[in-house]
Amino acid sequence: MEKTRAFLEKPLSRKKFLQLSGATGALLGAGLMESRDVLADNKKEVSYDLNKAKNIINSVCLQCNTGCSIKVKLLDGICVKIDGNPYSPWTMWPHIPYKTSINESAAIDGHICPKGQSGIQTLYDPYRIRKVLKRAGKRGENKWVSMPFEEAVKEIVNGGKLFSNVAGEENRVIEGLKDIWVLRDPKVFKEMSADIKEIWHAKEKDEKQKKIQEFREKYKEHLDKLIDPEHPDFGPKNNQLLWIHGRLKGGRSEFFKRFIQDSFGSTNFHGHTTVCQGSLYFTGKAMSDQFDFDEKDKKAKWGAGKKFYWQGDLSGAEFVIFVGASPFEANYGPPYRSNKLTEGMVSGRLKYAVVDPRLSKTAAKAWKWLPIKPGAEGALALAMISWVIENKRYDATYLANANKAAAKSDKEPTWSNGCWLVKMSAAGGSASGGKDSKPGEFLRASDLGIEKTKKTKTLKDGTEVEYEFDNFVCYSNGQAVTFYPNDSETSAEGDLFVDTEVNGIKVKSALTLIREEAQRYSLEGWAKLCGLDVEDIIAVSQEFTSHGKRACADIHRGVSQHTNGFYNVLAWYTLNLLIGNYDWQGGMSQASTYDNAGEKEGKPYDMGKMHPKKISPFGISLIRHGVKYEETTIFAGYPAKRPWFPMASDVYQEILPSVQDAYPYAIKALILYMGTPAYSLPAGQTQLNVLADINKLPLFIASDITIGESSMYADYIIPDLSYLERWEFQGSHPSVIWKVQPVRQPAVSPIPEEVEAFGERMPISLEAFFLKAAELIELPGFGKGGFKGGLDLRRPEDYYLKMAANVAFGDEKDGSKAVADADEAEIGAFIDSRRNLSKSVFDLEKWKQAVSPELWRKVVYVLNRGGRFDDFEKAFDGKQLKNKYGKQANMYLEKLVKIKNSITGKGFPSLPVYLPIADAQGNSLNDEKEGFDLNLITYREIAQCKSRTISNYWLLGLLPENFILLNSQDAARLGLKNGDKVKVTSKTNPEGIWDLKEAGTTPMEGRVKVIEGIRPGVTAFSLGHGHWAYGSRDVLVDGQRIAGDKRRGKGIHANAAMRIDPYLKNTCLEDLVGASVAFYDTYVKLVKV
Amino acid sequence: MKEKKMKRSDFLKLAATATVTGAFLKSGKTSAKEEIGAQAIEADLSKLPREIVYKNELLRMQEDLLRALKKPLKERKWSMVLDLRRCIGCSACTIACKAENVLPPGVVYRPVVDEEIGTYPKVTRRFIPRPCMQCENPPCTPVCPVKATHKREDGIVVVDYERCIGCRYCITACPYNARSADFGEVYTEGTPIVQDYELRPNFEYKKEWPRKHGVSPIGNARKCHFCIHRIEEGLLPACVTTCIGGATYFGDNNDTDSLVSDLIARPNITTLKSELGTKPKVYYIWG
Repeated sequence: MEKTRAFLEKPLSRKKFLQLSGATGALLGAGLMESRDVLADNKKEVSYDLNKAKNIINSVCLQCNTGCSIKVKLLDGICVKIDGNPYSPWTMWPHIPYKTSINESAAIDGHICPKGQSGIQTLYDPYRIRKVLKRAGKRGENKWVSMPFEEAVKEIVNGGKLFSNVAGEENRVIEGLKDIWVLRDPKVFKEMSADIKEIWHAKEKDEKQKKIQEFREKYKEHLDKLIDPEHPDFGPKNNQLLWIHGRLKGGRSEFFKRFIQDSFGSTNFHGHTTVCQGSLYFTGKAMSDQFDFDEKDKKAKWGAGKKFYWQGDLSGAEFVIFVGASPFEANYGPPYRSNKLTEGMVSGRLKYAVVDPRLSKTAAKAWKWLPIKPGAEGALALAMISWVIENKRYDATYLANANKAAAKSDKEPTWSNGCWLVKMSAAGGSASGGKDSKPGEFLRASDLGIEKTKKTKTLKDGTEVEYEFDNFVCYSNGQAVTFYPNDSETSAEGDLFVDTEVNGIKVKSALTLIREEAQRYSLEGWAKLCGLDVEDIIAVSQEFTSHGKRACADIHRGVSQHTNGFYNVLAWYTLNLLIGNYDWQGGMSQASTYDNAGEKEGKPYDMGKMHPKKISPFGISLIRHGVKYEETTIFAGYPAKRPWFPMASDVYQEILPSVQDAYPYAIKALILYMGTPAYSLPAGQTQLNVLADINKLPLFIASDITIGESSMYADYIIPDLSYLERWEFQGSHPSVIWKVQPVRQPAVSPIPEEVEAFGERMPISLEAFFLKAAELIELPGFGKGGFKGGLDLRRPEDYYLKMAANVAFGDEKDGSKAVADADEAEIGAFIDSRRNLSKSVFDLEKWKQAVSPELWRKVVYVLNRGGRFDDFEKAFDGKQLKNKYGKQANMYLEKLVKIKNSITGKGFPSLPVYLPIADAQGNSLNDEKEGFDLNLITYREIAQCKSRTISNYWLLGLLPENFILLNSQDAARLGLKNGDKVKVTSKTNPEGIWDLKEAGTTPMEGRVKVIEGIRPGVTAFSLGHGHWAYGSRDVLVDGQRIAGDKRRGKGIHANAAMRIDPYLKNTCLEDLVGASVAFYDTYVKLVKV
Repeated sequence: MKEKKMKRSDFLKLAATATVTGAFLKSGKTSAKEEIGAQAIEADLSKLPREIVYKNELLRMQEDLLRALKKPLKERKWSMVLDLRRCIGCSACTIACKAENVLPPGVVYRPVVDEEIGTYPKVTRRFIPRPCMQCENPPCTPVCPVKATHKREDGIVVVDYERCIGCRYCITACPYNARSADFGEVYTEGTPIVQDYELRPNFEYKKEWPRKHGVSPIGNARKCHFCIHRIEEGLLPACVTTCIGGATYFGDNNDTDSLVSDLIARPNITTLKSELGTKPKVYYIWG
């Protein structure tokens, strides 16, 4: 709770405020806004203006990535209140019909969480930057000069001795972007890319060498444009421009990719997925792979898996088991999910259990709290699988379906590969628990001497291709049955548990293998691993299987952010498959969105195809993803220098350490967007080391709204717009069962300065930076004729309004799903509500020009509602969900059979297994035995997001600092009491410090909070506090000291205690399959200070 | 900079079109709009599908509220029900109230208490929002030396910002600790720029109260008023609409058809410190 402070002795007058504002206004913070006449007579009654459409712009929150829809309320152009948008399922339940007029909806407020409410303070953060800042001291020294935008972009583009004024860098020559953009012909890219694949596909070493020589000969004129002609698969030097993003959403995603990939030709466009829940996404990707015809390779193969995941539909569920997920505090997200749980509980519709070492707010209201040992989440899933199978509580009808036709006949939208037969290989190893054989590839028709079937496929361009298909096999009543998985006519059903020989080949069904794995331990054995009671495991399993398909296991970070994350996720999703709850109300659901990029047929603007000279980048990415180590030209046996990730992408923790190791190659320039690897990643100090290193990272450009924990090490910071001043297409989350596309749009005039690019005035932002850079380098795809067909791309709206038109048009090619036209009243309100936006943001004529006239009114209709949302009743299809995944979901992952662990050279399991926590070499860590006696975990309070809400003073009122949670038993053992200050130390950070390089060191200290609601032996801190930048410390700008605000530096951020991998030495522990970082696998010692 | 100020006359125009109800703020003092009469407010939910309104507790309560506004002030009995089974301790209400009423540091109308109960592993947490109880017999009003705080005809306990002298007797008298003193602080004080959103006038009691030193409410007592300025415009209080757990109910307890009347009549309803005889109009469902 907030403490009151002494009454101000001298009243702070309006004049005084103005003076204060003027002092640093030129550089930092919000420009002073016009406000109501505060000196006006206040005696009269006034009308309440916040329920009028003319003072409302509906948009989308980004205080966390839940992306709730918001109603931004404005007074004279100042954002004064944010509420939930009633059109949206996130923020009203049930949400109002889409056709409701905006005058009516103006008087209906939806709900939104405290962070959403506090967004005003992100927008009006006094520490926001308004002009480009250039480093004037060493990296991280926090000395800056402000500079004109155009001058800064010129320096970045042209390079040179940019920091000759900094001691030690007098003669350092930096290559500018124009020097890195060397290979420019899209045709050469395409040809080289194809030839590189040939090199990769060459099996023998000699053959590979021969292909490399051929390549060098063929492209001898271009060899100087490659990073390393000896390793042509590193790709062109263009790849040495590295892009890293934290929170990037639709719209901006395509815009920025257009620059980095489509125009500049760098393959290194990497996101942050693995710091959030990578292994959740990449298990989802592997599970959604289909074995079918591949248009690129012109043959049948595993592919088309989506990087996605499932969540539970809480509105229809009768029982939910949340594992490492807390929908009252996080979990995509509290406004959407909480009321479904609380209503369900109170009405008696629903009951839920929570598996979490900490008594989260969600756990506090649960029917059962299972305080599991961190890292044993997969073990619990296998225990439940074992019980469900033993007690025959699975959905046998669902599991027997081997293909689409079988599923269809049961009216099941999905099916699994549980009854498919797997060949047991004689080779050593016993991943399946069998004695002398291990599961390999699926049995195929050709193994039975049956010829491959001939199939034809009509490609998008109309040509027909013939291809062969080797059918899969299941076993039914003693007979092998061959089938095509996507056959919608001939149904194939198999026995669930098969262990036999077919044609002399030892085979087992995938379910048999999973049962064996689940029976690796007895229930008591599993319970011991989990640190739980057998009775609780049985009770939860019983409940899980007592509601038909209206039950689900809803999992998140607590499952995925371990070294065993991928297999934990696979085990929990397999448990869901056992009751066949996918696409059913109360079961597993997936996200469904209106296409903004225009990729679907018949859309008005296919943004990708509208590039006049589009490059398809190629080469091994810096994070070595999507490619097998063994196929590349730098294969040099095991262990590889750093791990390879054929099953994942956006491997955040690997990006900067790979720069440091120059593996596979060195980087010349980095653009970091809305991300803070130094703060957000476990062992963030390893990331910070690279950011601070001018030799490994010669040029570092950051886009940020303030000087952040990572951007403080940048050479240049380009001010960005906050989420309330810019465009984005937020997309959806699996928990949202409606088809939607929330649209984020400028709601207030920009706080940062206005600049010029392509002769247009616009707010400084990353779009402005790319437009200006493109103008200077003459990069295709921007400016005059930036779109194919002669349309210009001079302003952000030229791009984003076309996307809004795509959303308005709908996803039917004939336009039958287009929204209504905005009528005159709505057009009027649209313009009126934007009356205070500066012309650099809202210029009606320019906006109208960005889309075709017949779409303009539809665009207005969508923007007036803050996006597009299907009506309430449209999410349901009988007892099923309307927006379906509707495909095969794999529990057995054949693809993994052929993939090797690049560190150990061994294989990976191909089915749900429990793996103990281990380092990159597969060794267990024994820090506990060395006196590090507490397992450190993190969690989220609803009052902070992971890294960017410390500027929100209202939230600091709720939680001025975070704590180190400790069970009273541990507190007694360690002699600690409430409020004691302790330092967090670990094996790889024995001093318990943050080494911030030029910014000095800072002890990793926080206050202990002794509670009952945490498993003994576990300690926790909430994410979001313990900042060393973001306005918490003094900075020097143009020679003037800007004092930091101590309130913003309170609390502890203990990520630097998290374990560094003993093999990699410059990276945290990670999951080598799903690529997640380990947030919960470190043991620490608390030292009283 | 461009002239963007909204003129006083603009406000009046808006006020006229809004045709607000005949509610007025202070007994003995009539407002210009009293005569306008009990008409429809901006919100008109009649066009929404009945099914949606029925299922949506917020819309249902907003309808209840619109119905209550058609009655004279003294026939309304505004009441709040806090279903603690549904409160998830998120404090969205606390912050919504901060923003709605432009509350400075130290002034909180709607705190939420988070307490842990039990011993590991048999342990739970309870979250208790604690706004002003809007007592039938408020202990805070009799102690006011200048009669600045009083109970309205509809039961809402208000502070007349123009009479309050800041003696803080009422703050001490409240057994629920529901009143705070406004010391005129500003969140962004001491930062590079004090921000205008903190200085903007609020709409409490349907008037404009600029943040100006020496001008009420700075220096005076402040408290929850059920967002009178919202409810009389046909909107639910800010803490009610923003409640993401759906734990906060509001309505007219004199209306037997209202959702709150339903809830208040149930056997699991209770009030805080009922032994004091304060007769709160904020009710709790504990379990």
